Amino acid sequence: MSPEIVSQLSVGGSTLVLLGGLMMLWRRGVAAHIGAFTFQSVALAATMAMVGWFAGDWQLWAVAVLLLLVKGIGIPLLLKRMGRRFGSERELEPYVNTATSLLIGGLLVLLAYIVTAPLVSVSRLPTRTGMPLAIGLVFVSLFIIISRKKALTQVLGFLMLENGIALLAVLGTHGIPIIVEIGVFLDVALGFIVMQVFVYQIHETFESIDVEQLNRLRE
Amino acid sequence: MTATSAPFLTLLLPPLVAALLALVLPPRRLLSGAVHAALALLSLGAALGLVHLVLDGGTPTWGPTDLFRVDALSALLAVCVAFVTTLSALLGPGPGREQHYTPAQIRRFRVFASLFAFTMLVAVTANNVGVMWIAIEATTIVSAVIVPLTVSKASVEASWKYILIGSVGIALAFVGTVLGYFDFVTLVGQRESALNWTVLLANARVLHPPVIELAFVFILIGYGTKAGLAPMHTWLPDAHSEAPSALSAMMSGVLLAVALYAIIRWKAVVASVVGPVFPNRLLVGLGLLSLAIAALSLVIQRQYKRLLAYSSIEHTGLMCMGLALGPLGVFASMLHLVNHTVAKSMMFFLSGRILDRYGTPEIGSVCGLLRVMPWTGGLFAAGMLALLGLPPFGMFLSEFTLLRAGFADGQGGLMAVVLVFLAVAFVSLLGHLNRMLYGAAPAEVRLGEGSRWAVLPLAGCAAALVVLGVAVPAPMTALLHRIVEIAGR
Repeated sequence: MSPEIVSQLSVGGSTLVLLGGLMMLWRRGVAAHIGAFTFQSVALAATMAMVGWFAGDWQLWAVAVLLLLVKGIGIPLLLKRMGRRFGSERELEPYVNTATSLLIGGLLVLLAYIVTAPLVSVSRLPTRTGMPLAIGLVFVSLFIIISRKKALTQVLGFLMLENGIALLAVLGTHGIPIIVEIGVFLDVALGFIVMQVFVYQIHETFESIDVEQLNRLRE
Repeated sequence: MTATSAPFLTLLLPPLVAALLALVLPPRRLLSGAVHAALALLSLGAALGLVHLVLDGGTPTWGPTDLFRVDALSALLAVCVAFVTTLSALLGPGPGREQHYTPAQIRRFRVFASLFAFTMLVAVTANNVGVMWIAIEATTIVSAVIVPLTVSKASVEASWKYILIGSVGIALAFVGTVLGYFDFVTLVGQRESALNWTVLLANARVLHPPVIELAFVFILIGYGTKAGLAPMHTWLPDAHSEAPSALSAMMSGVLLAVALYAIIRWKAVVASVVGPVFPNRLLVGLGLLSLAIAALSLVIQRQYKRLLAYSSIEHTGLMCMGLALGPLGVFASMLHLVNHTVAKSMMFFLSGRILDRYGTPEIGSVCGLLRVMPWTGGLFAAGMLALLGLPPFGMFLSEFTLLRAGFADGQGGLMAVVLVFLAVAFVSLLGHLNRMLYGAAPAEVRLGEGSRWAVLPLAGCAAALVVLGVAVPAPMTALLHRIVEIAGR
């Protein structure tokens, strides 16, 4: 593959990954959100495999397969189980309405381009063109976490944040050392499982997973 | 290889073994508790052994591509972690305590507290910034599991805030780590050891300042969240007040210090890329903000465990500022870290005793403490005075040195502001303490100390604070001087 095509594909793949994050902002309902996350994870795995092919790095292939299995299949299955349990809960208006959310999302991506300008200028890798979009996803995920009221949506925001970082790592460095990569994977999986337990616990103690209920601990 | 692996294995294996044994041993047996404590003690011994090795001029490394490496800074933190872990093994949930935990709860606590200790020890001995990040992220996961040891609305809420804010914060630190690695790879090329401190530091001169500055902002926000620096501190008072006291002691006493450790490591790299001005300005800013918010929040607190939590934010803020005040500042900051570890863990164990006896976390409902539990009350008062920075306790010395470092660094105005906030904290803590110590004891509260042996290790902590305040032991001074060489560039 010529570097130009790789560069194009990086931007294309990153755009799809970021799109998964933006879908969270305009779509409602647990099922749609889980779909957005699954879509994003598959796009991320594909981007990773593409970079792995270009760089001739089998480790990236392995990581892409692992990612597809864990984030593309495993976690969505668990999420769907949670969705069946809590999906019937009344949808709440987020703190910020859809139109404003999308506007803020766009501004955050713009901000990401400004912040990452020094990164893109120092790198010589053809994949660098996607880096602003990865940081954009990091910002958008942060916004999802702070602006949504359901614990389940916040977990999804966190998982997307992790996807954004994984995208940043693969585009900017063609993969962090494998031992770190595996450790990060374990952490994400464990963290997700504990968060899932907590969501069930919140549901049991508060009879809702609306985090607005979590306001007991105030001065 | 085998010669150097021994200290690492004796440091890191005991907590893992303790976690496994806690799974199978009957939790209510005294023997299980003794085994648990002995393993923690073994790890503490190994940490002290590492201090000895470091003072002899060695920097032991272990593993492929020197995955683990202990210098003076790592050794100091390892001792702190192992010390509080030992205290928590001795005084945490178990049989013969006043608090009534079910066997399942005791088992759960022992398993996860041991894993918590393990992850913190890995974090401070890892040479690889990626492995350090993995370990610190894991601290959040394993400790969040036991925050709601007793399930209540408040503890579930606290643990949710903790794991969500903690995980998000730490994820941002990973963005910073990736950016640092990105810059390295761009310049030097891919290498397995590229994430090692030693390699990063050696290549610092060629790294790009704008990229590293951006990386440090992410790292500071990320690890700052775990360290409880304002404005990312919002999870801390909730988690520290709702967790079982032995866990609060570990979180407040050493987890904050471990997060600060990560910041110190990165600061050394960043300072050799872009010079000290940029990181110092950020550290002073966050430190001062934490100090200010904590001091003002102390005034309005109504619960004593929250009081201690805000006091942790205050002291972390001080340490953070000290790091930016030249070599003397770093010295003071590290001395302060040791003092805070001892004082704050002692205070959380004592507040656990108070909570068990009075059955209420409210300051207003606790009176006559000196009459109800003379030893606990006396030590609580001593610990509070230590936290206030009064002589003869160690924090007087470290705070005084810190202020002196600030004035010597030409930051007189800043130090004046610091003094104002310290005074605010002083007055409000003293007021709260007074309310708890004196007055008539509530009629329904039983008088007398109860499980008196447990007072002994805590009295030991108070004695250690006095020793640290009267004359810092020579080996510790030597260790701190070595840390200044590492972190005080």
